[in-house]
Amino acid sequence: MNDRIIFEDVSKFYGEILGVNRVNLSIPPGITSLVGPNGSGKTTLMNLMTGLVKPSRGRIQVLGIKTDDPERLFKIVGYSTQFDAFPRGLTGFQFIYSYLSLSGIPTQEAERTAWEAIQRVNLVDAASRKIGAYSKGMRQRIRLAQALAHNPKVMVLDEPLNGLDPLARAEMIALFRASAAAGSYVIISSHILHEVDVISDQVILLSNGYVVAEGQIQTVRNEIQEHPTQILIRCDRPRELAAKLFESEYMIEASIHKDDRGVLLKTKDADRFYLALNQLALNGIQIESIAPADDDVLSVYEYLIGNEEVVR
Amino acid sequence: MNRLWWTQVKAVIRLELKKTFFAKRGLWIYAVAALPVLLFIAYAIAMSNQQHRSARIARDGEKPLSYQDLLAVKPGMTKDQVVATLGRPPVDIHWTERRPTGPGAFDEIQHQRFQYSDGQNDLFVEFVGDKVEGANVQDAYNLGEDAIVFAGVFQFFFLRLAIFFGCLGVFMNLFRGEVLDRSLHFYFLSPVRREVLMGGKFLAGLLATCTIFVTSEILQTLAFLWHFSPRARDLYLYHHHGLEHAATYVGVTILACIGYGAFFLVAGMLFRNPIIPAAVILIWEAINPFLPALLKQFSVIYYLKSLCPVEIPVSPGTPGLFALLISNANPVSAPLAIIGILVVAFIALAVSSFQVKRMEINYTTE
Repeated sequence: MNDRIIFEDVSKFYGEILGVNRVNLSIPPGITSLVGPNGSGKTTLMNLMTGLVKPSRGRIQVLGIKTDDPERLFKIVGYSTQFDAFPRGLTGFQFIYSYLSLSGIPTQEAERTAWEAIQRVNLVDAASRKIGAYSKGMRQRIRLAQALAHNPKVMVLDEPLNGLDPLARAEMIALFRASAAAGSYVIISSHILHEVDVISDQVILLSNGYVVAEGQIQTVRNEIQEHPTQILIRCDRPRELAAKLFESEYMIEASIHKDDRGVLLKTKDADRFYLALNQLALNGIQIESIAPADDDVLSVYEYLIGNEEVVR
Repeated sequence: MNRLWWTQVKAVIRLELKKTFFAKRGLWIYAVAALPVLLFIAYAIAMSNQQHRSARIARDGEKPLSYQDLLAVKPGMTKDQVVATLGRPPVDIHWTERRPTGPGAFDEIQHQRFQYSDGQNDLFVEFVGDKVEGANVQDAYNLGEDAIVFAGVFQFFFLRLAIFFGCLGVFMNLFRGEVLDRSLHFYFLSPVRREVLMGGKFLAGLLATCTIFVTSEILQTLAFLWHFSPRARDLYLYHHHGLEHAATYVGVTILACIGYGAFFLVAGMLFRNPIIPAAVILIWEAINPFLPALLKQFSVIYYLKSLCPVEIPVSPGTPGLFALLISNANPVSAPLAIIGILVVAFIALAVSSFQVKRMEINYTTE
């Protein structure tokens, strides 16, 4: 499978401390978010993917390339780490330029590409200043510029939106989306679940070094049997609708929305419930919208992991 | 080596040189390299002052003297004979010695010292009473002795301490320094083979240490030659193999940087605490003369000592251990010594190469 990022039965132990255990993944193109509390193994998974750490067991391949072959791997991979340290004494431009020079790119092309990357993260004005004098947000942006400078097919971004102002966040998200739309693999770790929810095509939920769920949010949500699915139906007469809905055998619970313009209901089987809903005689109740209320990352995260250490 | 690797090696060297030459924590290496230069400058200044003094004494003399004139004074000559031969002395010091002969009784012995000079070499004539008791000519230049002093400083300070610790400071920090700075991932995230990265860093370290220590070696030679008169300088350089020795010392300096550099590069990768490997290597190099022939070959100093152009003589009465340290009992031929150092360095680099491929970024454990 040369078009996927593959983890086959991968485990990583730091001495006796577990990093990740028995991870099996096949990551397709698009934006994939790694979600989990601190210490769940997100960064370890990213470091394994980029060869910064070696697996204690198992095999990893990034689009068919082994992670112990940096010469080939980093032609297609860019990694923005959380390590907040840089080679001493370099300016922002020198940092990106040196990175590109190490790739063997000729001087003039490296200079041009470095400036393009710096422009992409809006750091042109600060490019000739030493990185040591940068703010946290600027350091984050220069790290992103390094990861994106050589237009990699696979971008591994550890907490890429940390320290960015709202405008910069929006720009970065747009950049990730455009890259994903162009067929790139964007792997993001984040604590900020609403952002993950907005940008991700698929998620990998981690807890204590184990992958507890992976795939598209809705698919993951549907696999969680012990929590009934919540659906919000917006309508003009919610009480009448609630009474009608109890005619369906798949209904468990219904409550009137606080603005009195909808019904929030819980069902054991969403697909069958939708079918049954079509067959109900609604006696002229105007339905405005029907939408799942808990197939977002936040809900899935809460169901599977709990609500520790996340930012909503 | 393919073209890409060479381009990458050059990029690594550019980055590393900047760090190595201008790192604040590396300033002591310049100081260590400058110490022998300062020593020879101080020596040259002292010798230069002495030459000025000799020239002044020669000027103050009654007549111009030659070196042969100075050698003409022999013990037993009278004061008048000396004055007749060399003229009135420009420096004349006398004192009286009171030698006890019994309770409350003394003999008074008249001492006198004349000093003459031909402008470079000084003659000291000691009189007791009216007779010459001793005549001592102090040469301005003793090329053989000076060359041995230079060799001693080179072998016992420059090689064993300055280059040794300088290489420790540079090569051990090539990887370890970046682990401590938490910036090694910058290199590990670039499309560079780890062995190429290691090679680039080693060459950068070599370039830096060779620049520092070869410059120091050249400056030491210049300072050493500074007080020589042009004639003495020509004599030393072209007839006493001075030029050849200077070139050999530069070559030995470069080989020392290669050997110790490779040793400390691998040590910096294998050990977290640099003091332990440094102490082990220092002791290993120090006990080299006492090791069996086979083990001797696994040290750098064994080959370097064999390459040094001037052998330091062991004076009679030198303690056994010290004599063993000075002497080179089983020297190897120059080609074998060069190959030996390169083989030792190659083995160390092969181990480094294996080690760098296994390295992981795990700053929290450092």
